[in-house]
Amino acid sequence: MLQATKLKKSYGGTEALKGLDMTVEGGDIYCLLGANGAGKTTTISLFLNFIRPDGGTAAVGGLDVAEQPLETKKLLAYIPEQVMLYGNLTALENLRYFSRLGGRDYSQGEYRGFLRRAGLQDGAAGRRVKTYSKGMRQKVGLAVALAKQAKALLLDEPTAGLDPKASNEFSELLLKLKADGAAILMATHDLFRAKETGTRIGIMKEGRLVDELSAGEVSHADLEKIYLQHMHVGGRYA
Amino acid sequence: MIVSIARKEFSEIVRDGRFKWTAGMMALLLLTAMAAGCQKHSAYMDMQRLSQDRTNAQWLNQGNKNPHAGAHYGNYAFKPAGPLAFFDNGINHYAGNALFMEAHKQNFALGRPATDQSSIGRFGDLSGAMILQLLMPLLIIFLGFTAFAGERESGTLRQALSMGVSNRQLLWGKALGIGAVVALITGLCVAAGGLALSLTGLSMENESLGARVALMALSYSLYAGIFLFLTLAVSAWAKNVRTALMVLVGFWAFAAFLAPKAAVEISKAAHPTPAFGQWMADMRTHQMRGIDGVPPFARFQQESEALFAEYGAESVAELPVYVGALRLQKFEEYDFPVFEQHFGRLRDAYTRQRRLQDRLGIVAPTLPLRSLSMTLAGTDLIRHIQFADAAEAYRREMVATVNNYLGEAAASLNSGYGGGNVLIADEAVFAMVPPFEFAPQGLGKALSEHAGNFVALALWLAAALGLAIGAARRLKVDGD
Repeated sequence: MLQATKLKKSYGGTEALKGLDMTVEGGDIYCLLGANGAGKTTTISLFLNFIRPDGGTAAVGGLDVAEQPLETKKLLAYIPEQVMLYGNLTALENLRYFSRLGGRDYSQGEYRGFLRRAGLQDGAAGRRVKTYSKGMRQKVGLAVALAKQAKALLLDEPTAGLDPKASNEFSELLLKLKADGAAILMATHDLFRAKETGTRIGIMKEGRLVDELSAGEVSHADLEKIYLQHMHVGGRYA
Repeated sequence: MIVSIARKEFSEIVRDGRFKWTAGMMALLLLTAMAAGCQKHSAYMDMQRLSQDRTNAQWLNQGNKNPHAGAHYGNYAFKPAGPLAFFDNGINHYAGNALFMEAHKQNFALGRPATDQSSIGRFGDLSGAMILQLLMPLLIIFLGFTAFAGERESGTLRQALSMGVSNRQLLWGKALGIGAVVALITGLCVAAGGLALSLTGLSMENESLGARVALMALSYSLYAGIFLFLTLAVSAWAKNVRTALMVLVGFWAFAAFLAPKAAVEISKAAHPTPAFGQWMADMRTHQMRGIDGVPPFARFQQESEALFAEYGAESVAELPVYVGALRLQKFEEYDFPVFEQHFGRLRDAYTRQRRLQDRLGIVAPTLPLRSLSMTLAGTDLIRHIQFADAAEAYRREMVATVNNYLGEAAASLNSGYGGGNVLIADEAVFAMVPPFEFAPQGLGKALSEHAGNFVALALWLAAALGLAIGAARRLKVDGD
């Protein structure tokens, strides 16, 4: 569903991504680990065509993102670390607006249903979102993704700064989406969450994918060890 | 899709606290200007009609006297305000509204309200047109400068663009949403003004009012569209909202303030008008010298033989008309080309200035709009010249009528016979001169010189659109 082939991107001479090859299939939750600046956000931005690659391709559902940006975006849902919404609009209005931007429209009841599924308490849906906590915003972002019925999700540290309960609810929903066959790519710093919800784990360092693991085949302690080894100079095989 | 975007823009703007202030101020200013405009317009029109009626009555009741002395007593032409003067007073404050018509002299219109104003009047007349020309662009800028730059800074642009909407759809949607807000505020206020005016019961037949209002709406819509798309272009292009606002306000100050003032100065420097005192002295000297260097008395002498022949007469005694009256009328006519030449010089300079200002419209859209607005309101220079021409034509007719009457009534004086009573005219004689009426040229004629201004506005809109589409195509998701 999501495929990067020799994907390259530089910013003013610095190579942020040095030929990334990766694939995320439907039913996968692929967790990208790595320090800040490893290229995780760059990868996600390339899949969204927010930036143009300097080499290689990013493809969604077999379509080249750079060539068919609008078609590929229709297949995607994106949840950043901070879901940004229009403060003077209510959650329902935000959801409806974003859905329509994505070319979908639902009844008021269905919109409420998406917000409920995303875990937003019923009474909040009609309030302006400038009064919302971060957790509530993330839920609206999730509802936007649900309403979009996306085949692939791009999540950029979506649970950073959420309390454990909210974070857990978020993971539960991801598992449901995975069960429905969505391909999920999630950049995260949360090793524990990666091990718990991820099916596959990729470790990025300085613009390269340096390791890929199957979440089921590695213990939490091992994962942490492997990760830290990579982060030290030379990496795991030095 | 575009409508959804527009609706969201609309709700967001309307719910923003800043909007209430800006819109409130704008509405207050516009309504005040429109109300003041209506009040002034109807008061002016009342006064104009009253004055014209009174001066017409004075002409008739000036008392029994020598008919030529009646022409010296003279009459006034009062300028009607123009069909949409309540909205755009144009040059009315500076051009004069009462023109004294008398024998031997072509006068300027007097009564310039600007001369009675304090220095605050220099900032211009508070009128609907001024508010829309100066402040509507500012309103558009304030409502629109964050359209892309603000969403980029807050991060909602990432979210929106991730949904798979095209940049261009976003552009059209935002344009429609902001445009709707602007149209709502200005449209309602202007309509309120128009309604108030229609309640004053002013009649404006034969002035193609509907076409004027429609073209006025078109011109101002083009103007608003120019600023709207420029605002969106800059907002999409700028790295942050601060840059966007600075660039836009800078352009506004240039287009709405600097360019019009500069255009006036440039046009004056390029086509200078003569100093008034010198011009007047030149004309008087020229009158006395005669158009071709033959002074009036000498010319009359030279031409008298041919002139008498026209009447089948060989000498004064055989003339069927009083020679004194004939001479008076001939002297009057000798002056026509002198007046035409000197007034023509002045008008040529003014017309050239105006045309140059229109051409400078390529530098700032406020210039062609201002010119169009005045013309559509019927308060422009061309109309003023038409009024002055009508007054001059009337004056010539008035003087000729009484002179010719004198000629016929006092023919017996040629042979030295006849009493003083033949020199006396009464009301019946003065009634031979019909009251002054100003029939302005039609709208089509008035607009004949303004195709270029429409083209300038259209070009500006096309350029603004092109910039907006280009900036939207290159829209960056992140500021850095």
